[in-house]
Amino acid sequence: MDPEERELLAKSLAQVTARHTGASLDAALGDLGWADAHAADPETAVSTLFELQGSANATSSALDHVMAAALGLGDGAMSVVLPPLGSTEPPGRVYGGSVTIAGLALFAVADRDWTVVVGERAAAVLARATLGLRPVQGLDPGLGLVEVTATTAWPDAQSSCVPWPEAVAAGQRALAHELVGASRAMLDLARVHALERIQFGRPIAAFQAVRHRLAESLVAVEAADAALAAAWDDRSAFAAGVAKALAGRGARTVARHSQQVLAGIGFTTEHPLHRYVRRVHVLDRLLGDSRSLTRRLGDDLLARRSLPSILPL
Amino acid sequence: MNLSELRPALDRWLDDNAAALAPQHDHRGTLDQQMAQLAKVKRMAFDAGWMRWGWPERVGGLGGSPLLRGYLGEALTARDLVEPGLYSMTEVLAPTMIDFALPELAAAMVPRLLRGDETWCQGFSEPGTGSNLASLSCRATRVADGWRVSGQKVWTSLAQYAQRCVLLTRTGTPESAHKGITALFVDMDSPGITVRPLETMHGVEEFSEVFFDDVAVPADRTLGEVGQGWSVAMDLLPYERSTALWHRGAYLHRRLDRFLAAVPPGAVTAGEVGEVFQQLYALRARSRATQHRLAAGERLGPETSIDKILLATTEQAVFDLIADGLAGDVVLGDDPAAERLRAEFLYSRAATIYGGSAEIQRNIVARRLLDLGADR
Repeated sequence: MDPEERELLAKSLAQVTARHTGASLDAALGDLGWADAHAADPETAVSTLFELQGSANATSSALDHVMAAALGLGDGAMSVVLPPLGSTEPPGRVYGGSVTIAGLALFAVADRDWTVVVGERAAAVLARATLGLRPVQGLDPGLGLVEVTATTAWPDAQSSCVPWPEAVAAGQRALAHELVGASRAMLDLARVHALERIQFGRPIAAFQAVRHRLAESLVAVEAADAALAAAWDDRSAFAAGVAKALAGRGARTVARHSQQVLAGIGFTTEHPLHRYVRRVHVLDRLLGDSRSLTRRLGDDLLARRSLPSILPL
Repeated sequence: MNLSELRPALDRWLDDNAAALAPQHDHRGTLDQQMAQLAKVKRMAFDAGWMRWGWPERVGGLGGSPLLRGYLGEALTARDLVEPGLYSMTEVLAPTMIDFALPELAAAMVPRLLRGDETWCQGFSEPGTGSNLASLSCRATRVADGWRVSGQKVWTSLAQYAQRCVLLTRTGTPESAHKGITALFVDMDSPGITVRPLETMHGVEEFSEVFFDDVAVPADRTLGEVGQGWSVAMDLLPYERSTALWHRGAYLHRRLDRFLAAVPPGAVTAGEVGEVFQQLYALRARSRATQHRLAAGERLGPETSIDKILLATTEQAVFDLIADGLAGDVVLGDDPAAERLRAEFLYSRAATIYGGSAEIQRNIVARRLLDLGADR
């Protein structure tokens, strides 16, 4: 995509993410051809949409599309079952001719005929009727997560050699962008409040304790953003995991500081902050939470007893 | 010459000359030994051309992108051939001379610094002037043929080794703040200069107090315009936070790598190791992007305070991990390897203090990047 096309895409996406969420955002993305943009330039399409989705607190099933594309199932009208909370393992366990599924899916799973389930060694496309679906309210009702559980027949003709780690990496990059977008939105809410809220005769933004919390938040966002840009450069599962962990931990840092700066009003449902706080605490735990990703990374490093060489100039 | 050409050729040269480049001392060595090693490595790298890439031809360089310098310093640091703090003075002070000295002066002096013939120091801080640099009071008075300087500097790194000093002086009224500062390039053997090294907590006389008693400085040693010294100082800071910072990141990568080879099982948790590595990764990613912005000709500004905060935080996190995982060495060890670890751990305590404290960096982020207005 050339810069002009990128700008046009960003503009249209900003408009639709501001106005729509859920199924209506999916329809709007279909109208403006986001899937074609994704096929042509995945980095631009994913980074732009998911950052905007994060900053608008909107949701779509674009993550299904991103993961299905990475699995080699391009046409996008299918849901992909995500691992259970915190995990990055395939959600299906296959024994003989049947599969036991425990995972999560996005809202669109309820309206689609077919769902992709990945097991340890193979993937299969299963009909909706074979799956047990529980729409989740939970911490973030606006996100529209669905819990998927089933024990059902595992079809014979399955694709083998499933690129699951690549699909996880593609999903982690998308979620990391969404977390960065949500973080920037929370920081902006806190910043505006700090400039407007007067105490002791001056805006609370004049107090160093407040300023340093907000500065700390920006550092956390920029650190995650830099790692995320690097993850697009090399597109490895390793780099995507690091970026996701940094974005998840960073978003929780920003949520904590922003909530403290917004204080009482930020603790009410009259202010939008709570929706972002809810969102980042859930997104952090999809496709690997920051704590587990970090621990697993540390295990790998301790086992190899050296650092990989990273990020050549 | 571009980076993809330089990288393999430089790596090969470093391999071929490994024995000659290696330090003569074991372990950390004394500061004298480290300085001798630095001069030797710079000399060899200059004569082979490596030290000249990325610097303009008018000061003895061979031209090309600053990325070439970025990789050279990284390669030297990653092989433990130079101590990055000592090496960084070149990256910080040569650009200042190139940007602000009279062209003949820069052409005569910069090659001496690049070749390792000379050491330069940076006379900024004063006893009464730490974070509030604009309040400095070391006075330069106009005389017929130049300046007479009287006053005191402190925290001047490597002053006892230096032949030259980039010195900030007060030339306006005492109240003129950042508007009344002038930068001078001073010969350290000028009559009237006294250097008193300070011993640091990590046992190195790395910086000094420097006293100026009516020191004569010729007019052609003025850097930039009279009264414009503040912009000289501000111009220098982004260099401190780009190439030199990239080199320090390479040093932390090397230290964490060596630690993983040495840490006993169970001494630190996987979560601790993973988090420190992620911090290092983010620092490297951020610093790499800054290097590329510099190479593309972008003007670096207050956003480099983020790089500096990430560096300081990561450096302390790396050495906190090392001090926990190798506590026996750091706390009780008296052999040279343990002394080196301990010195590096102790030095990391200063990472949030020097070069603009952690608090000053956060003030810059708040004021300049978040636009939060004045803080009082």
